[in-house]
Amino acid sequence: MANNIEQEIREIIAEIIEKKPEEITPDANLVEDLGADSMMALEILAAIEKKYRVVVPEENLSKLTSLRTIMELVKNLKKK
Amino acid sequence: MEKPILGIEDIKRILPQRYPFLMIDRVIQLEKDKVVALKNVSVNENYFQGHFPEEKIMPGVLIIEAIAQAGIVLVDNIAKTDKRRIYFLGAVSKSRFFKPVIPGDQLKIEVRLIKFISNIGIISGEVFVSDKKVAQAELSFSVKER
Repeated sequence: MANNIEQEIREIIAEIIEKKPEEITPDANLVEDLGADSMMALEILAAIEKKYRVVVPEENLSKLTSLRTIMELVKNLKKK
Repeated sequence: MEKPILGIEDIKRILPQRYPFLMIDRVIQLEKDKVVALKNVSVNENYFQGHFPEEKIMPGVLIIEAIAQAGIVLVDNIAKTDKRRIYFLGAVSKSRFFKPVIPGDQLKIEVRLIKFISNIGIISGEVFVSDKKVAQAELSFSVKER
C-alpha cells in the first residue's frame, strides 16, 4: 500500500512538472532540483486533494517540498 | 432569456479586457465557487474574417479566453477588494474541444473554483451550446494587485 501511494504521487508530480517518473526521487526538491514553480505546486496539491479526497490545510503548502514530504502528509491526512 | 446578475457595464468594471476582446456578455449566476456567463457569438466577430474565410469557426483559444474571463469575475467576487488586480494565465490543461462553435451559437460558460491560495489559483471551465458540451479546460493563474 505504502509503495502504491508513493508511485501514484510520483506519477501525479511527473505529469504536472513534465518530468519522467524516475526523475522524481523521494528527496529531490521539487523547486530547486526539479524546476517546479509555485503554480505547479498548487496544481500538484489540487491533484492530490482530488485523488485522495483530502483537504490540505493552507499552512502545509510550504512543507510540500518533495515526494517524501507530500507522501507523509497524505498518509497523515488519510489516517484522520 | 435568463436574467443577468451582472450586465456588460458591470462586467467591464471587473474585466480589464475591452473590444474586441471581451469574451463574455452577461453573468447569470455568481456564487462563491461557481460562475455562469453567456457569450453570444455573432457573424460580425472580427476573427471570423480570417478563421476561416470559407467556414466560420470560433477559435478554440478564444473559448479558453472566455473561460478565463468568467474565471476573473469569479475570483474577483471572492477577493472583495477595491484594488485593481491583474491576472496572469499560467497553464491550460485538460483542454478539449468537442464541437465547432459557429455564428449564432450562445456559449454558456460554467466555471468552478478548484483551488485558490494567496495569489495563485486553479479554475475548471465547461462550455455549453444548447446544453451540449462544446469545450472544457482547467486554467491556472496568478493575481497581482497594483
